[in-house]
Amino acid sequence: MLPTSLDEAVEALAASPAAVPVAGGTDLMEAVNAGRLRPAALIGLGRITELRGWRYEDGGTAVLGAGLTLARMDRPDFAALIPALADAARTAGPPQTRNVGTLGGNIATAAPAGDTLPVLAALEASVTLARPGVTREVPVSHLLTGLDPMRPGELLTWVRVPLLNAPQVFLKATGRSGPSRATASVALVLDPARRAVRCAVGAVAPVPLRPLEAEAWVAGCIDWDARGEEGVPAIDPAAAAAFGEYVASACVPDGYGGDAASGLPAEGPTAEALRLRRTVAVLARRALGRALK
Amino acid sequence: MTSPTDTTLAPPDAAAESSSPEDAQSPSGPAQPFGLGSSPLRTDALPKALGIYPFAADLWAEGLLWGAVLRSPHPHARIVAIDTAAALAIPGVHAVVTAADLPAGPQSADGSAEEARGPVGDRPVLAAGVVRHHGEPVAAVAADHPDTARLAAASIVVEYEVLDALTDPEQAFHAPPLHPDGNLFRHLPLRSGDPEVVGEVIVEGLYQVGRQDPAPIGAEAGLAVPRPDGGVELHLSSTDPHGDRERTAACLGLEPDRVRLVVTGVPGATADREDLSFQVTLALLALRTGRPVKMTLTREESFQSHATRHPALLRYRHHADAQGKLLKVEAQILLDGGAYADVSAEALAAATAFSVGPYVCPNVFVDAWAVRTNNPPAGRMRGEGALQTCFAYESQLDQLAARIGVEPLEIRRRNVLATGDAMPTGQAVTCPAPVAALLDAVATSPLPALPMDEPDTDWLLPGGPGGAGDPSAVRRGIGYAVGMVHMLGAEGEDEVSTATVRVSGDHATVICAAVDSGQGFATLARQIVQSVLGVAEVYVAPVDSDQSIAGPSARGRHTWVSGGAVERAALMVRHQLLQPIAANFGMSVELLSIADGKITSYDGVLGMPVTEALEGKELWATAQCRPHPTEPLDEAGQGDAFVSIAFCAMRAVVDVDIELGAVRVVDVTVAQDVGRALNPGQIEDRIEAGVAQGVGLALLEDLRTSGGLLVNPSLTGYRLPTALDTPDVRIAALLEERDVVATFGAKAVSAVPAVVAPAAIAAAVRAATGLPVGRLPIQPEDAVVA
Ligand SMILES: Cc1cc2nc3c(=O)[nH]c(=O)nc-3n(C[C@H](O)[C@H](O)[C@H](O)COP(=O)(O)OP(=O)(O)OC[C@H]3O[C@@H](n4cnc5c(N)ncnc54)[C@H](O)[C@@H]3O)c2cc1C
Repeated sequence: MLPTSLDEAVEALAASPAAVPVAGGTDLMEAVNAGRLRPAALIGLGRITELRGWRYEDGGTAVLGAGLTLARMDRPDFAALIPALADAARTAGPPQTRNVGTLGGNIATAAPAGDTLPVLAALEASVTLARPGVTREVPVSHLLTGLDPMRPGELLTWVRVPLLNAPQVFLKATGRSGPSRATASVALVLDPARRAVRCAVGAVAPVPLRPLEAEAWVAGCIDWDARGEEGVPAIDPAAAAAFGEYVASACVPDGYGGDAASGLPAEGPTAEALRLRRTVAVLARRALGRALK
Repeated sequence: MTSPTDTTLAPPDAAAESSSPEDAQSPSGPAQPFGLGSSPLRTDALPKALGIYPFAADLWAEGLLWGAVLRSPHPHARIVAIDTAAALAIPGVHAVVTAADLPAGPQSADGSAEEARGPVGDRPVLAAGVVRHHGEPVAAVAADHPDTARLAAASIVVEYEVLDALTDPEQAFHAPPLHPDGNLFRHLPLRSGDPEVVGEVIVEGLYQVGRQDPAPIGAEAGLAVPRPDGGVELHLSSTDPHGDRERTAACLGLEPDRVRLVVTGVPGATADREDLSFQVTLALLALRTGRPVKMTLTREESFQSHATRHPALLRYRHHADAQGKLLKVEAQILLDGGAYADVSAEALAAATAFSVGPYVCPNVFVDAWAVRTNNPPAGRMRGEGALQTCFAYESQLDQLAARIGVEPLEIRRRNVLATGDAMPTGQAVTCPAPVAALLDAVATSPLPALPMDEPDTDWLLPGGPGGAGDPSAVRRGIGYAVGMVHMLGAEGEDEVSTATVRVSGDHATVICAAVDSGQGFATLARQIVQSVLGVAEVYVAPVDSDQSIAGPSARGRHTWVSGGAVERAALMVRHQLLQPIAANFGMSVELLSIADGKITSYDGVLGMPVTEALEGKELWATAQCRPHPTEPLDEAGQGDAFVSIAFCAMRAVVDVDIELGAVRVVDVTVAQDVGRALNPGQIEDRIEAGVAQGVGLALLEDLRTSGGLLVNPSLTGYRLPTALDTPDVRIAALLEERDVVATFGAKAVSAVPAVVAPAAIAAAVRAATGLPVGRLPIQPEDAVVA
């Protein structure tokens, strides 16, 4: 099925609940090829042009179509709007997959290493889920944590992202130069209007994690008035480093990578936890540094 | 017309006389580069780039069935019972086979008895009684649809009694035997010199090499067609058509001539292609059903079924005098051969013989073992054995340099091997060994520029474009390595190849069963005939096992043995062609030459087109090439085990993000001992390929197991280097010191860059971080400076 409008797609999905929507197919077809998934029918979303762009809404919000491709999000006009999301899209796989892979697919797949997810979490974005005649708005974090999951027959249509008009950064560690999934990632956005820093760590847990205390603490360390001024450091480097450590220990538990089955209480952090913390700390510190540059 | 025992070779320049590269540039000459020394494009390059080149997976036959294999989910288990009833009951299923269906006998599937040695080594075609590695084939199905075949394979019920998996090679010595042949594939001691010598300086190291997979982009695929005479024809991307035919026939209980192997395009081979089990199972299904059967493996199966590089554990102790001159090397080398023997014994010989590297050392004491475990079987892969030790001995030399306080280049210069020096095996290196010159060539080559003048946002940092790299945390390191690898079969293996050359009209044909596995042999064969016969149009026939034997495509041996056979056959044709003309004109054949399709005499009086000289006849000749024999290494690791050796030096430049441990290889500069550059373009391609594979092993590629189970058998989990991971590769020098006994004086070029690159990259990371770097692939945590 290849509906050409959103309404048609929503109707089609409701009419055949066993059908599976497919956008770029970069996650779905991999599962099909590996024999993990045998969809009874497919509903292709590629022809729904309205979902492939974005628009503005009052109150400083961008409404992004679920069909926006990762490659499109990397273009300068979009990058000027939501820089961290553009950063994430730019590193989310090789060009061939980014040319067809979509924002909606990345969210619906909800992979731990899904690159747009920590950015959406840090931005406190929300998604619109549609069924015939009904739409509802769900915060991305609720969707991902399963607090308010996508229901059968629902289509993800729009992603609402507040426009903050301030620096934001997405950094990803992969251990290689070529495209690769993140071993850890950090999204960090500044919200100068509220004098807030929001941060989310990706790939270290099934869902992006928000180190709320570290965010609040570091917001207090920033010289918000000096920000952007030539030659004036907006934050003491030692505070930036401490922020990194704070984020890392908040997001990587002592027992990370340890043998949970053994049931023994871990004696201090595992070697794997220490390694991952070091990586997250470096990413968070660098992200903050770049945002405040 | 053959000369099977003739071991003398034509003088290396005989061919060049008749057509030097300059001839190719002459205005009347063909537009395409022509003859030896030029760099013509491979004939299959364009179709492959355009995606229209047919590989085995594209084959089709009328009425074909699809094969699928059931594999062991356990690394070690006893097969208690196999119930195929449910699979057979599925509509569309035509046959289900297990070890019990193999006519060869010894593999009984009654579940209780250990199988005896099969007809070909220790590896059963389908597991009988015991499975010894994750993914080992247990049963196979032929059905009328690929999905039906897979479904049916999944419906076969196998009752396993799971056994403890032996996954630590160090435990293999004491563990109960996993196979009637025992757990030790080979122990090779090497004793040379005085064991009591003690150096003023002693450095020790423990080195580890992970499991690299050949990860061919084209997964295993093939088509079997039953023949009316009860035999079977196999269409496969085999790299050893005659060997595969013999083995397949033996397993099926057929006469070898009842099995015909037709070689299809080879989609990538840096190791052996299409393991025995795959082809025998395919043939068996075709014989069973009387229908053509096609089988293509999934990516996961491909990782499960083909042999990998040997993971290795190497313990080294180098003794030197105060100036860093080597006095003694002691080493213990352990190769994990996995579940079956394959070529472990051969890999071990290379590891042992080259354990010191291209250096002179009077006293060498090595113990090397290859053992059986329940890990994936290891086998042939570019520079098997030689690569693992290269990483170890080069790391040791870096350590020694640091201890003595000299530059890494200097410590190498003080110890390099030269022509005439003895290896620890007692064999004198009689071929050119320009190791010092190779080192000089990379050392004097200009270094890549630092990106100082560009804005730092444009720098390609470790972590890649758009990555997390931070210029202030990046350190640049420069590392050097030299290494060596043998060509041709070793330790008494009979090396021989046969080729036929035919000339008719204005073109020539080469028939030789040497498979072009991507190494470029077909192009080389064309160039040889062009040079000898002056004919531009040369057709290289597709390979099948009805042709005469040429042996496997391994160790770059075809340049020598098959190149030699082609040259000789072409020279014989040349003689047949020129003899009557020479007689006619009362001059000797040597005074005639052929170029641009024309025969001319030295004085220019005679000028006759080849087509005219042929008078409508076809001329044929068949010849063999058999290099001088070698001998096995004895119980002290001594013997003339190798025919010739190739050397290579590399300088790697890396950038390391010392906080995240991300490494980017910026540049690899290579100087290689090639004997004679027969096709410089192709040599550069092979060097780039070797470096890319070396980068993979050094930084990315590791087929991991957990308790014997494969952890990452996919191209997402198993990380192959992409263009962004692969550095600029620069050739500082292709040293052309002819190897007088080799065909054209040339040395094989593919393996040695892959052997040296990992060691050079490790050295560069060591230089950037000051850390020891004792394992490959280098993990990010190995490059983090705390
Ligand atoms: C080689 C390769 C590398 C990759 N590297 C990365 C990487 O580095 N980082 C990363 O984050 N991802 C990576 N990916 C994953 C993938 O490209 C992204 O997750 C992409 O965003 C998925 O989008 P898609 O349109 O292709 O989704 P599809 O495959 O079409 O769909 C994925 C899932 O989402 C559902 N779905 C899609 N659209 C909707 C909708 N509108 N409403 C409801 N459900 C929907 C589908 O039913 C399906 O279950 C990689 C993939 C490949 C093949």
